[in-house]
Amino acid sequence: MIIDVLITLVKILFILAVTVGFFAPVLTWVERKQSAIMQDRIGANRADILGFRALGLFHIIADALKMFTKEDFIPQGANKTLHTMAPILALVPALLTFAVVPFGGEYSLFGKKVNMVISDLDVGLLFVFAIASLSTYGYVIAGWSSNNNWSLLGSMRTSAQMISYEVTLGLTVIGVLMVYGTMKLTEIGAAQESFFHWGIFLQPLGFFMFLAASIAENKRIPFDNPEAESEIVAGYFTEYSGLKFGMFFMAEFIEMVTIGALVTILFFGGWHFPFISSAALLSIFDFLGTTGANIIVMLFHIGVFFAKVCIFIWLQMTIRWTLPRFRYDQIMKLGWKILLPMSLANILVTGLVLLVIS
Amino acid sequence: MAYYVNRNIKMTWWERVYLPEIFRGLYITSRHFFLNLFGFIPFFLGRKKERPIFTVYYPEQTVKYPAAYRGRPVLALNEKGRPNCVACGLCEIACPAYCIDIVPAENTGKQNEVERWPKEFTIDYAVCIFCGFCEEACPEEAIFMSDDCEISMLDRKKMKYDLQQLLVPISELKDRVEFTRKMYAKWNY
Repeated sequence: MIIDVLITLVKILFILAVTVGFFAPVLTWVERKQSAIMQDRIGANRADILGFRALGLFHIIADALKMFTKEDFIPQGANKTLHTMAPILALVPALLTFAVVPFGGEYSLFGKKVNMVISDLDVGLLFVFAIASLSTYGYVIAGWSSNNNWSLLGSMRTSAQMISYEVTLGLTVIGVLMVYGTMKLTEIGAAQESFFHWGIFLQPLGFFMFLAASIAENKRIPFDNPEAESEIVAGYFTEYSGLKFGMFFMAEFIEMVTIGALVTILFFGGWHFPFISSAALLSIFDFLGTTGANIIVMLFHIGVFFAKVCIFIWLQMTIRWTLPRFRYDQIMKLGWKILLPMSLANILVTGLVLLVIS
Repeated sequence: MAYYVNRNIKMTWWERVYLPEIFRGLYITSRHFFLNLFGFIPFFLGRKKERPIFTVYYPEQTVKYPAAYRGRPVLALNEKGRPNCVACGLCEIACPAYCIDIVPAENTGKQNEVERWPKEFTIDYAVCIFCGFCEEACPEEAIFMSDDCEISMLDRKKMKYDLQQLLVPISELKDRVEFTRKMYAKWNY
């Protein structure tokens, strides 16, 4: 019993360390540096400690210091409680999603089956969408409590956009559910052990729609209408400064990791490396004993999983720095007139094919 | 004249599908990304780098400005170690911002010496508008617009440069001297 609690605690700490401790700060650096390299520039590299620049990695520390020391400003006439609560409401759902996202398979360590997921819910995918739509409240409350016209406009756009794209997001995932016949993310991951059973081969259209809809959910360019600097200052977080602003930023970056993890689990084979099954790996490292072989396979799978997540984060960054942003009506048109019918058609085709095969 | 934007651009079917065009854009940006990240590989294969990074690290590196650039006006110090200036005051009159202030000094009968020179020559860069009229007015090729533009300071009083601070050896101003000769020769001064 106590060991179970300990194992869960270790997993939670691991996920927190990876997302909040590693990905969120490093992605601020990656965002600058990758955009620079893509545009034939050099990018942030001026912050140094004793002359060491380390490719501009110290800008992360500089950013954090700046955010900590900045004035925490609450505008006049703003609702103080809600204004403080909103960034927390935005950040927590982004982190909570990771509770059901598996980052490895099942391994027997010291005679105990250990699952590489914090909580293996039967309704894993539903939980993901339930929590993800909760974050809308954070953004809406942020805009409303700021007592600022632009913020309110931004938050209204957020809610409209999130609601429109959540429909598509849910419907595209139904195709995946139909193919694998389960809502457990661990089982979906485990079903993709052989290379040609990856979701991308079974649901190619679903992948593109899922990626588009989830980038829209994350409110990044090309779907950045809620923040639209050129139209409504900075949207819902216009009136935020210091660490509260940083929390909105962190929520965005953690959501990027979440999207990467979900795409990996649903469409790109989760923790499986193509053509190398875990049974084969276990037999290779058999000379280390069951536990030793399992530990090596576990580390390999976690590494593969996060490498895939990094690839999808790179893809999201590339999309963000390649495409121009949509107008508001174009976003709505894309969501309701193109993606929604396409996702419905995807379900229809998937169902027909499944019927024919069975 | 009214300017109209053509909003009825005819797109081909391939462009209207939009997804292939996204891939084309992603291909271009990621080509730049990987070429800049691993740019040394095609270089070793004997191919030229597609586009070098042209960022200049400003305070450490500077670009050379063209000769026509008007930086801060300076006084030329000729080969004998004297200013060319004869303190005629033409630049003082030509200056639209009244930032030049000259106190002349004269030779009192010594042989083989210059006849007039500036005892004091001050230019207030906080007032100067970098128009270059002083250079144009100068009959003696004494005052030139240099390529130095880094004259921001925290104290306004320090922006008033006196004669010793203004002097620059003429060898450093060769390009500008040639440029002014070419430029103002047109008007037959």
